[in-house]
Amino acid sequence: MTVRSYFLPRSLSEALGLLDARGPELLVMAGGTLTMPLINEGISLPEAVMGLRLAGLDRIQRSGETLLVGATSTLTQLLEQDAVPMLREAARNTASWPVRNLATVGGNLFTPPPGGDVAVALLALDASLVLASARGERVLPLAGFWTGFLGTALAADELLVEIRVPLPSGPTAYRKFGRKHANTPAVVTVAVHLAWDGGRIADARISLGAVGPHPIRARRAEGLVLGTRLDTDTVAAAATAAAEECQPFTDAVASAWYRRRMARLFVGRALEQLVPGPAHEGR
Amino acid sequence: MASTIVTFELGGREVEVLVKPMTTLQSVLRDQLGFTATKEGCRQGGCGSCTVLVDGEPMPSCLLPVEDVAGRQVTTLESITPADGLHPIQQAFLEAYAFQCGYCTPGMIMLSKALLDRDPAPSDEDIAQALAGNICRCTGYRPIVRAVRAAADAIVADSDGQGR
Repeated sequence: MTVRSYFLPRSLSEALGLLDARGPELLVMAGGTLTMPLINEGISLPEAVMGLRLAGLDRIQRSGETLLVGATSTLTQLLEQDAVPMLREAARNTASWPVRNLATVGGNLFTPPPGGDVAVALLALDASLVLASARGERVLPLAGFWTGFLGTALAADELLVEIRVPLPSGPTAYRKFGRKHANTPAVVTVAVHLAWDGGRIADARISLGAVGPHPIRARRAEGLVLGTRLDTDTVAAAATAAAEECQPFTDAVASAWYRRRMARLFVGRALEQLVPGPAHEGR
Repeated sequence: MASTIVTFELGGREVEVLVKPMTTLQSVLRDQLGFTATKEGCRQGGCGSCTVLVDGEPMPSCLLPVEDVAGRQVTTLESITPADGLHPIQQAFLEAYAFQCGYCTPGMIMLSKALLDRDPAPSDEDIAQALAGNICRCTGYRPIVRAVRAAADAIVADSDGQGR
């Protein structure tokens, strides 16, 4: 154990002050589920760590048509809210109960694939992020947050303080496929949000996890379903497109070859789940 | 490396420890306080053998800097074991042959306690979901699920008895 200082700020302003004064040498930790294993094994040897557990950033509340999720809200809290069912589904499919009691929603955005299963849902929901520093605050669409594997647009003096989730305006689907039924890293994770207008799809967001350097939108697949009535041919074409455009990798969980095939299968299943039945004709 | 004093409640008693920054709750329990029921497994939050309750919520003690539990209530297997005999969950694990080497058992029992505190009559599926973060390499999981169900029945029967 080589950590020399551990700070537990009691407010956002105190946290931002510490970050401003100490800069990049300060390792920021929220739930600790990513950081503590590295410290325990001596892989990460930070001089100074700032824990955010007491900084008061853990409220989940609805404001009009937006769900405001404090960055250090736990996955257990996310499981308990009912404003956005897909986020419950994502939380339920992530890690185990004891880990969900620590793991934070904000931290999930920094989880390298094949983790980050909540982030996949947030991307399909078109969430945006509030980033704060001593200089002020800015709001960034989640789609512009990741810059590469473990790379983000977060500046060295910034903290992620809130995730703003527009309430879904149409049906959603969430599918995570792993090697076990629970507490398992993803082979592929798929989240879909559709908006209908006059029986046709007016907006489609399809996001994929564990088949790229970070959660990604399947833009070609989205383009294929846009304006259609989502018949089975469209579903098949979109699933194929998503499998082609994703960037799967090989690791201990699955091979790139297998991930690409499962991406096709599970994008197909997620979309099929949203195909209008006879009861919905003329919607 | 400045050490600090951290105070928390352990099994209903206030304890005070002098720790280097970010010493884990797991290490404090085992190495400083001698509460060795809490096991050290993967130290990554992946095996469940170090599960303790913090304010009644199950948490992996290997991922918690002890500073984070200052002022909070920590419950370990020692805290729920009666002076004489066994807790109903322990008794059920014994009777259902729900352990062999026993290394995962304290974590399994603490998780089961948290589950039964919330849901006195969980289904097998509920039990399996709740225990998904607790790894056992000996028994397979069926005896463990049976034990938790038996413990649930025993606890309900006992409280019914007391209610008369």
